[in-house]
Amino acid sequence: MKRISPRMRFRMNNPFLQFFKFIILSVKIMVIVAGGHGGTRESKS
Amino acid sequence: MSKIVILGAGISGHVAATHLRRKLSKKHEVVVVSPNSNYQWVPSNIWVGIGRMKSEKIIFPLAPLYKKKGIKYKQAKAISFFPEGDKNEDKPYVLAEYVMGENAGQQEKITYDYLINATGPKLNFAATEGLIPGKNKAYSVCTYTHADHAWQGLEKVIQDMKAGKKAKILIGTGHAKSTCQGAAFEYILNVEKELVRHNVRDMAEITWISNEYSLGDFGMDGVLMSYGDMIMKSSDLVEMIFEDRDIKWILGAAVNKIEDGIAHYENLEGEQKSENYDFAMLIPAFSGHGFKAYDKNKNDITEKLFKGFMIVDADYTPKPYEQWTVQDWPETYQNPSYKNIFVPGIAFAPPHTISKPRKSKNGTDIFPAPPRTGMPSGITAKLVAENIIDAIKSGKESLNHKGSMGNMGAACIASAGFGFWKGSGISITTYPIVPDFVKYPDSHGRHLGKTFGAVGLAGHWLKLMLHYAFIYKAKMKPFWWLIPE
Ligand SMILES: Cc1cc2nc3c(=O)[nH]c(=O)nc-3n(C[C@H](O)[C@H](O)[C@H](O)COP(=O)(O)OP(=O)(O)OC[C@H]3O[C@@H](n4cnc5c(N)ncnc54)[C@H](O)[C@@H]3O)c2cc1C
Repeated sequence: MKRISPRMRFRMNNPFLQFFKFIILSVKIMVIVAGGHGGTRESKS
Repeated sequence: MSKIVILGAGISGHVAATHLRRKLSKKHEVVVVSPNSNYQWVPSNIWVGIGRMKSEKIIFPLAPLYKKKGIKYKQAKAISFFPEGDKNEDKPYVLAEYVMGENAGQQEKITYDYLINATGPKLNFAATEGLIPGKNKAYSVCTYTHADHAWQGLEKVIQDMKAGKKAKILIGTGHAKSTCQGAAFEYILNVEKELVRHNVRDMAEITWISNEYSLGDFGMDGVLMSYGDMIMKSSDLVEMIFEDRDIKWILGAAVNKIEDGIAHYENLEGEQKSENYDFAMLIPAFSGHGFKAYDKNKNDITEKLFKGFMIVDADYTPKPYEQWTVQDWPETYQNPSYKNIFVPGIAFAPPHTISKPRKSKNGTDIFPAPPRTGMPSGITAKLVAENIIDAIKSGKESLNHKGSMGNMGAACIASAGFGFWKGSGISITTYPIVPDFVKYPDSHGRHLGKTFGAVGLAGHWLKLMLHYAFIYKAKMKPFWWLIPE
């Protein structure tokens, strides 16, 4: 059953568009990684 | 002078060893004890299992690297723990047995000031009758040797299909409580893509079998995420992908027995069913290694150290799903009884699962165990190393570095097909890994700005970039430490 429209598929596979997606995703992932981590218990109510 | 012993040289053990060595002067000893002489970048096993990457590309020998960097290496496996030493040995130690070379079979008491148990999981194939990698047409991709075998099995099925024989392919979890659904998910999509590439897709029926209650649970209770301009459930995303690729699915399945080409399972309705296949890849149950622990007088204190996996600073009080909180999850991975033992990566005992526990009508528990993927394994290893470094430098216990999975993000880049121009990947980030329903009550416990999904070629490039970056980092090439965990 086709669930991905031709337009969406084109966007998913187009190397030019995906190059920009790659940059955006890399930055977003870095932000999450660099956003750090920590404990949770200080905030326990 | 301090001696830090690290058991295991997987993602978490190796990360801990490399950071300790970088930050501690040479007067302190860093010792790695691990039975496998190679480091392996496990996530790329998926590509080995479809024949698109040679296993040599994802491994390298540890001994030369450790020698060069001043890390002692013993190719041995830990057997038992003596955290108080014994009558003849004052210092705490681990009893280990050499597995290779002229010392093979010999045991050694390896003393330590600090111990990092990074032994990951035991791949418990024995928990499912007949599930033996490479037997009964069922395979695994959990190690590079398993993945090599899986490719041999798959290649044969592809050749049969080319010769006109139809085939049934079954991929997913091989036990009621398996975890690592993400790896099986990647594998099923890669296999599907390879069948298209070999022009045999129409000859195959591909089925996903899983202990998840709904698609896209991934052992994380599912994820609500931003997808472009929409907010989407991971179940909807996976359903869209499976339907689009004509992949069928069986959910709530506790695979309990494998015979040649037949997987028997119980479902949540309590029915006993079976599924035939010509090729299967099923992730086994993960369990602790069955280590024993003894006090100074050789009394068995295994229960003080282990609940299957090793006990850390989690809240293990049994309570119902509705009362679970992120505060139950450990922050420092320190053993509460022996404060010089730390347990990063998969080796620590989780307080409970992340997915909602479910029972079949017969009372069989059927739900995923909690995943601890590469990123949290690396992060927890680094923070454990940093606390030990601080303690050694300051001369007193230091636990300033904390990282609960309830306050940590993870990026899961699931390969959905190999190929620089024709590949695909599903990038999902999750923050936090363990949902915090108090902080994010309206978005299934997750921060929607930091929890997003994307599908496309960029995902494949990301996965490939991570492959090269993490192997570069693991080889401790110049400025390796700048690459985050
Ligand atoms: C096929 C597959 C694909 C995956 N893909 C991804 C992915 O894309 N992204 C992601 O984030 N995660 C992924 N994961 C999960 C990731 O690989 C694990 O989270 C990670 O390997 C856990 O690291 P670890 O160091 O805790 O355990 P392991 O990597 O299992 O390392 C354990 C180490 O302990 C050693 N050891 C075992 N027994 C003993 C003993 N008795 N004494 C001493 N040493 C011992 C082992 O030899 C090994 O070196 C994937 C997993 C699989 C199986």
